[in-house]
Amino acid sequence: MSNIDRRSLVKGSLAVMMAGAAISRSAFAQSSEPILLGVSGPLTGPNAQYGAQWRQGFDLALDEIHAAGGINGRKLAYQFEDSQSDPRQSVAIAQKFVSDPRIVMELGDFSSPASMAASPIYQRGGLVQFGFTNSHPDFTKGGDFMWSTSVSQADEQPLLASYAVKRLGLKKLAVLHLNTDWGRTSRDHFVKAAKEYGAEIAVTEGYIAEERDFRSTLVRVRDANPDGLILISYYSDGALIARQARQVGLKQTICAASSVYSPKFLELGGEAVEDVHLGTRYFPEDPRPEVKKFIAGFKAKYNGQEPDAFNAYSYDAMNMAAAVLRIGGTDRRAIRDAFAKVRDVSSVIFGSATFDVESRRVKGAMNAELVVRNGKFALWDGKPT
Amino acid sequence: MASWLDYTINGLIVGNVYALVAVGLALIFGVSRLINFAQGSIYLVGAYIGWVAVVQLHTPLPLTIIVVAVAAAIVGLIIERFGLRPLQNSVRIAPLLATIGISFVLDQLVMLTFSPNPRALPSQLPDVRFQVGNGTIGPLDLLIAGVGITSALLLFVFLRYTKLGWAVRATAQDRDAAMQMGVDVNRVNQAVFGIAAALGGVSGMLVGMYYNQIDTAMSLQATLKGVVAEVVGGAGNVPGAVVGSLLLGLVESYGVAVFGTSYRNLFAFLLLVVVLVLRPNGLFASARQAPPEPLTGTFIAPSRPVRIPRWASVLAVGGFAILPLLPVSFYVLQTLINAWLLGMLALSLTLVAGTVGQVSLGHAALLAIGAYTAALLSLTFSVPVGLAIIGGGLMSAALGTLLISPSFRLRGHYVSIATLAIGEIVSLVILNWESVTRGPIGISGIPPLSLFGYDLISPSSVYWFSLAVMVVLALLQGRLLTSHLGRSFRAIRDDDIAARAYGLSLNRYKSLAFIFGGFAAGVSGGIAAHLYSYINHETFNTQQSILALTVVILGGLGNVVGAVLGSVALVGLPEVFRIAAEYRILIYGIVLLLLVRFRPQGLLGTI
Repeated sequence: MSNIDRRSLVKGSLAVMMAGAAISRSAFAQSSEPILLGVSGPLTGPNAQYGAQWRQGFDLALDEIHAAGGINGRKLAYQFEDSQSDPRQSVAIAQKFVSDPRIVMELGDFSSPASMAASPIYQRGGLVQFGFTNSHPDFTKGGDFMWSTSVSQADEQPLLASYAVKRLGLKKLAVLHLNTDWGRTSRDHFVKAAKEYGAEIAVTEGYIAEERDFRSTLVRVRDANPDGLILISYYSDGALIARQARQVGLKQTICAASSVYSPKFLELGGEAVEDVHLGTRYFPEDPRPEVKKFIAGFKAKYNGQEPDAFNAYSYDAMNMAAAVLRIGGTDRRAIRDAFAKVRDVSSVIFGSATFDVESRRVKGAMNAELVVRNGKFALWDGKPT
Repeated sequence: MASWLDYTINGLIVGNVYALVAVGLALIFGVSRLINFAQGSIYLVGAYIGWVAVVQLHTPLPLTIIVVAVAAAIVGLIIERFGLRPLQNSVRIAPLLATIGISFVLDQLVMLTFSPNPRALPSQLPDVRFQVGNGTIGPLDLLIAGVGITSALLLFVFLRYTKLGWAVRATAQDRDAAMQMGVDVNRVNQAVFGIAAALGGVSGMLVGMYYNQIDTAMSLQATLKGVVAEVVGGAGNVPGAVVGSLLLGLVESYGVAVFGTSYRNLFAFLLLVVVLVLRPNGLFASARQAPPEPLTGTFIAPSRPVRIPRWASVLAVGGFAILPLLPVSFYVLQTLINAWLLGMLALSLTLVAGTVGQVSLGHAALLAIGAYTAALLSLTFSVPVGLAIIGGGLMSAALGTLLISPSFRLRGHYVSIATLAIGEIVSLVILNWESVTRGPIGISGIPPLSLFGYDLISPSSVYWFSLAVMVVLALLQGRLLTSHLGRSFRAIRDDDIAARAYGLSLNRYKSLAFIFGGFAAGVSGGIAAHLYSYINHETFNTQQSILALTVVILGGLGNVVGAVLGSVALVGLPEVFRIAAEYRILIYGIVLLLLVRFRPQGLLGTI
């Protein structure tokens, strides 16, 4: 085993690559087949709910894309491979997609370890990895095949800080954050912005994703005597914290990141999330036409269910993919180049999205300042709570 | 000072919640000497049945409790009858694995039926709050406490004063003697599983109402905390489980108070390790009590290993070695690379668990130590990747052995629990030790694999590299097993008293096994880090440890070829079932159950 020399290594890989290239030429001859995207994401395991939400957004976007004539007359489809957000599986999926000539672009994965472990394979294989929930600051540094429409926390958190500090007038803040790469990055950006706006950070507490009991954490928060609580949370843990905050007798204003924006937040939080403020990228009565179309379409397709943030991300991602394919066609490199060319794609999150070619991300997310009133998300009317 | 009262109350409230699971676990352990890893799944099932009853059928609370208790009890009886009873004459490890398989199956069934989205489970009690300290408690807190304490008391009375209870205790003490005295052991087991499952189901429902939230991820967490509480209180000791739970809640709450939220679980698992080391039978074990694990040679299946002729192994290795030259897709190669990496971990685990008998449930920690060491060496200190990986192996060997050494005196299940805790501790230290590990942000930009200045980037070269490393480790381990060391290891596993009497120093041999095993696992982690280019504290998680154990048992404990075969099978199966999308983990769980049922000694048998 140990005397394999470098030449045979190269020969072996060349043989396989040539076989792959031969297959790829024959596959593109027939164009009645739909254009295929690969999706790597969790359908089982602890993050399965997010994979299910992705699907809803994808399917809605696909309906609209097909109604509008597809991609230059061809249909668009996706192949969803379950990674369980596990890097071991996402790398195998990456090889699968890279060596499948029908796949023209990849979307996902959900978690940073799973996505970024697969990045080198996509980069070397020359297949775009389009991560639309990948807020890890290093994600797009993996190479020029990594593109992301995930809202940069450097953009989002100052908006939240401005809402909390400038608009709501909170001066002494307690920050509770998910202790993940997303939560940590968000917290740092938030703290920096809030300090710039003149607020004091009384305490920051990071908690792990599986945590359900926050009562002791909230006693710590109470003892720091803040006048506002900032939740950098997803909707399920955000709802838990809000409930328990009220139970331990905290009456301060709560202000949450946009990731709690979900009907589930209201359902799980009940009365406790009344008057919670949150900055979001869109809201139910948003007059923007792309938002109206998204919400109306979503409710019609899914029995009146309200869409949430993750539905919007995946809906936008599929629309972005379609826009890119219209320019780049089905060649993998041309698709990568098309990301730099695509302009002003209609987007629920960004209004209109154009990539910043340097960072391979989209800047300038929309902002809406909402508050929960009577069990519903409503635009904040400027009145104190 | 007022805050300390609040921390105390909060600790007791959450301890209350843990107690509900711990009592069920303690009951089952008391009778069948089995840590029921499916208890969390029954808890999950109970929560969802409760949701159906409350939200769909609008049943009043007393009726809801009865419905959930009966339904969960039926699930428990089914598990006992079809999952565990067929294994009762099998080795001790078989039911343990079966419960892991059952929990996969139950969790997946719930997820498929109800979707993975969390749901609200509204409380049916009036929403009044009582002021205690600066916080408030509600009627649900009282109900949960009531259910916990009442069930512990009822169980205590049942075990002490009823005939069936005597039978249960007799069975717990000596199953064979109980049978000779005419105790219907199966009926006892049924009763115990029914009661424990009813309790588990009701507790899942109550906790769901408490948080107004149920989701499919609650199962594993409930099991973990329940196991910790139960072992702290003394495995099999029902009142002890309640006290252990309250203590666990308090320790966590005070831990948060002093050090902050992100250290919370660290304290839970440290408490467990400390209790295990100082009082292995739990805090409340009496001195007269027989040791709970009269284990000599009963945990591991004795069997006749399948002899693999040397030419077949050589042929297989040769076949796999020329695979990249054949027209196979990179996907197949990548899947096999995963198998080789898992194979190294399995080699490590099959040595400590199979050959020496220390069944570890925290083996992923060794991967993590190796991966972080290798990544930091090559990234921060620009050490060549090949040396960095070896460094990862050495660090894993040293640190892993050091961490595990306090629990060398433990046996059987207790080793598994201690290693489970050590695994969690390592992961939490990685999360919190930010100056070194970069905490939750993780380490990105790890350079790709390279050897003597040549980058190994193509799938074929990575494939050959990982296959070669695994084969070398396997050959070394095979050599080790045929030497006098291997015989000493097996002697310790089969009868440690006899081994000691013969003059073998147990600690020294166990250390040797962990050093070798730690090295193999660390190397695997180091390669993985350079392959993925990004790692964080979640990359090497508990699921990985459980997977490794499954591989080892599938292949046959201690069996080197079996470990490799098992890795290929268990990496391959979920990929083969990929076509079944959401159903694949369900199918995987069922396959696992069938294997445990029909071939508990593993495919190739124990060596």
